[in-house]
Amino acid sequence: MSQIPVELVKILIALVAVAAFVGLNGLVLVYLERKVAGHIQRRPGPFEVGPHGLLQPLADAVKLIGKQLFTPKNADGFLFWLAPILSFMPVLLLFLPLPFGPKLTGMNLNLGLLLILAFSGLNVLATCLAGWGSNNKYGILGAARAVSQSVAYEIPLLLSVLAIAFQTGSLNLSEVVAGQGSWPWQWNFMVQPLAFIIFFVSALGETNRAPFDLAEAESELTAGFHTEYSGMGFGMFFLAEYANMIVVCSVAVALFLGGWNGPFFDGAWWFLAKVYVLLLVMIWLRWTFPRVRFDQLLNLNWKWLMPLALLNLLITAFVTKLS
Amino acid sequence: MELMAKIAFVVYTLLVLGGGCFAVGAHSLVRAMVGLITSLLGVAGMYMLMAAPFMAFMQILIYVGAVCILIFFAIMLSRADSHGVESGSRRPGKALLSALAFISPVFVIGWVVVNYQPESIRIPLEVPLEVIGKGLLDNYALAFELISVVLLAAMAGAVLLAFEKKGRGAE
Repeated sequence: MSQIPVELVKILIALVAVAAFVGLNGLVLVYLERKVAGHIQRRPGPFEVGPHGLLQPLADAVKLIGKQLFTPKNADGFLFWLAPILSFMPVLLLFLPLPFGPKLTGMNLNLGLLLILAFSGLNVLATCLAGWGSNNKYGILGAARAVSQSVAYEIPLLLSVLAIAFQTGSLNLSEVVAGQGSWPWQWNFMVQPLAFIIFFVSALGETNRAPFDLAEAESELTAGFHTEYSGMGFGMFFLAEYANMIVVCSVAVALFLGGWNGPFFDGAWWFLAKVYVLLLVMIWLRWTFPRVRFDQLLNLNWKWLMPLALLNLLITAFVTKLS
Repeated sequence: MELMAKIAFVVYTLLVLGGGCFAVGAHSLVRAMVGLITSLLGVAGMYMLMAAPFMAFMQILIYVGAVCILIFFAIMLSRADSHGVESGSRRPGKALLSALAFISPVFVIGWVVVNYQPESIRIPLEVPLEVIGKGLLDNYALAFELISVVLLAAMAGAVLLAFEKKGRGAE
């Protein structure tokens, strides 16, 4: 009787910690994104609120929370408000199996990787429902794009993750991390460079980040699936997008870049540092490359990423069998 | 622990049944899909209760993450009336018949299960992933291959249908 509640309390504490982590990282990432964007475009970025604009994300958050929530006329109110909740809630679950440090894991699950892959699919669904529920042509176009994009990009993502699973023989992220050494040449990235590149590109596609942000292309669709959302409705999508970025970067770090292993001192700081390097690369890509056309996006996936991922998986299976 | 399991069972049952009722009663196709998803999530929870987390995650990954997205795709592509063909007023007689068609098999299955309980262990045991994999390629290889053949045939049929339509459109 007393055994399960302890587990339950542990999970609840982990969830609260994750929620705080997501909120804090959201603030940091918004600031980082705007600052990096500013400097890439040779302007200072936010500068007015606080020293060097440090309090700008807080001001943004207060503005978003204070705004009126508005349901458009003829929209399907139930689906319209279900979507932002559905996009944000599963994200908290995705953080549970991530190994932040040698002991710092929400839940040490044998099938942790599978949990992340399974629940990240709900985000696409939320995008679809948002586009459909807002009864707006831009919304529906954005949703249609989101569906075909995510269906396409999920396959190479899964295949590249499977290559690592084949190689290490485990779906437990903590075990995969523990199997890698402290120095960069002992990380899985050195053995599976192709899988890492495929994973990162498809992760950009899955998180709707530029240059693959066709579901919310501002210049064509105003804001795509979240055109009609105001205040925290938009805020939830926004937070979920940043949280998803952190999750895919964390998975990439755990699978390919040695997780919390690092030269001299193993620990959570290495994990966070690597995650932030990957996040900076994502932001850098966003402000460097123009948005691709839709046919380019799908061609890149079906004609390049998918065959390469399949080939990589076959070779991995062959080599694993041999050794 | 048993109490927790019972509470979880009730919650999942409510999810499955409630999702089903919502799907049947919804006036728009997309809402019906949301009901279906709720129901599928409940089933995944049931797998969790049976100590089969692999099945549960696969259920969510495949049915919620892929099949439902494809259903959504189909709804958008077919340009069907978003309210569905049969959303008009229903005759009460029909509703009664459909309720009967649902309740009678449930009643029969329920009666059989209550009276002839299959032997099973009290506390579910988690089967390791390796054992499932070995079983699929060992003991149950034939069933596994047959299902693959059926899926392949379905896929080939779908491609064939799509090509035929395209050719007719060009004429």
